[in-house]
Amino acid sequence: MLCLRNITYEDKNRRIIENVNMTFREGITYSILGPNGAGKSTLAHIIMGVKKPTEGKVLLDERDITELSITERAKLGITLLWQEPARYEGITVEEYLTLGGKLNVSESELRRVFEIVGLPYELYCHRFVDKSLSGGERKRIELASVLLLKPKYAILDEPDSGLDITASDLIDRTLKYLGKIGTTVILITHYEKIAKKTEFSYFVCGGKVVRKGFSEEVVEYYKRACGKCPFLEGMSDDH
Amino acid sequence: MIIKMDRVKEYEALVNIYEKEGLDISLFGDRIAAIIISGDKIVGLNNVEGVEIVGEEIENGVKASVKIRDNVELPFPIHLCTGFLKNEGYQRVIFDITVGKNSKVKFLSHCIFPYAKDFTHDAYARITIGEGSAVIYEDEHVHGEGVKMRSKTEVKVGKKGRYTGKFSLTKYRAKELKVEMSVELDDYAVTELVSKIKAVKDDSVEVKEVAYLNGRSSRANLKTTVIAFDNARANVVNEAYGLGEYAKGHVECHEIVKGNADVQTVPLLRVRNDKAELTHEASIGRINEAQLMQLMAKGLTEDEAAGLIIRGLLRGF
Repeated sequence: MLCLRNITYEDKNRRIIENVNMTFREGITYSILGPNGAGKSTLAHIIMGVKKPTEGKVLLDERDITELSITERAKLGITLLWQEPARYEGITVEEYLTLGGKLNVSESELRRVFEIVGLPYELYCHRFVDKSLSGGERKRIELASVLLLKPKYAILDEPDSGLDITASDLIDRTLKYLGKIGTTVILITHYEKIAKKTEFSYFVCGGKVVRKGFSEEVVEYYKRACGKCPFLEGMSDDH
Repeated sequence: MIIKMDRVKEYEALVNIYEKEGLDISLFGDRIAAIIISGDKIVGLNNVEGVEIVGEEIENGVKASVKIRDNVELPFPIHLCTGFLKNEGYQRVIFDITVGKNSKVKFLSHCIFPYAKDFTHDAYARITIGEGSAVIYEDEHVHGEGVKMRSKTEVKVGKKGRYTGKFSLTKYRAKELKVEMSVELDDYAVTELVSKIKAVKDDSVEVKEVAYLNGRSSRANLKTTVIAFDNARANVVNEAYGLGEYAKGHVECHEIVKGNADVQTVPLLRVRNDKAELTHEASIGRINEAQLMQLMAKGLTEDEAAGLIIRGLLRGF
């Protein structure tokens, strides 16, 4: 079980996250839903160890992992699909997915994940993970990388961004595959349709958890709340 | 391949090094136009239809002219092998390359100095490319620990011609390296210069790439990547001159530093035509943090992630 306990995060004296508590149980799909600037990606970065909280703890199976590095957390089974995956000159897709040969992956496994992310294996495995790939192609390759790691906890930060109209099917296939291997999914999105694909949701706004519960119910609340959001009042334009 | 009887052993020694280093030994075959130099001797020479290589032994080295006729498209590269198999000494090579009109050729230039401890190599190449021709010139190196290398290449690209120059020294010591490449471009001519160099210990690297975009709608893309470790020093100068109407040039330099290395990059863009356009992009410092973190989130340590990124950056052509 992965827990955020009383997490607060400040950047340049600006409070981005305020006293957030979340619990993610094994094998369940969650979404963190909220408008742009709500603090969703910051929460993803706090779980992954990219950002250290100003206050609060990150617990994994009751162990405090707040001070652990990104690598240490990854070794404990947490990984992150980045909203904007980096480009790597001179590294082929196959090398990238196998982490330069460190990850032992069979060709059939590679083919399987290529199928899930909707890319033809032969056309992509020898291409470079550089600027020659479109944003959508890069995102799909990043998703393939997450699937190959078979993580215990997969944080998917806006997995649909930069993708074409087949994104919804891709997310369905991804959730199905991760569910099958027992991965807990934490899906970050501002689209209610994407959030509905998960079992439970946290609605985050203004750096706070506004609502939590079954996704259907939280999404309905989100649809009603956005437009007359109490957190928008008195907040800066970049909220 | 013409091999003089008294030079067979030197020829064979070079072939053996190619084999040992995993280089392509088929380049010594009869279908390949080639000049094979060892020290100040020509140990092998081969011409094919459309290509005329003439070599001359000069003091401390070799001078060669390579002429490619009009409308020649070679299925294999032209092999320029410069070897020096002693520990110490001096060598100079001069290449005068002329490519006729509408031809398409690739040169593979190999500098083979595997045992060098105190060796100086001076190379000068003048390349003239005729209208509508395309030339690729790839430079690869096998260096011992002590090579002082000074290389200068001057290229003139005719109308609608294309020149691609690739220089790579990533697997062996650079020690003392000075590389200068300049390209003059006529109307609609295009060039791409790419250099990748790794400097370690107390290596000293100087790279200068210059493009003169003289012609209308000429194009240039200059790209240099240097990874400097330990106490190495590197200085990269990329210059582009926009002189022709609608000329477009881009210079890009990326230098990554680890340890106490000292690196600098100087882009110089000069436009003397209000319709020309030049851009530059430079980065200097440690490895991109986002790249590192994203690999670490897959379980690699920072060093492992950096190693993978550097391996990619320095990958050959």
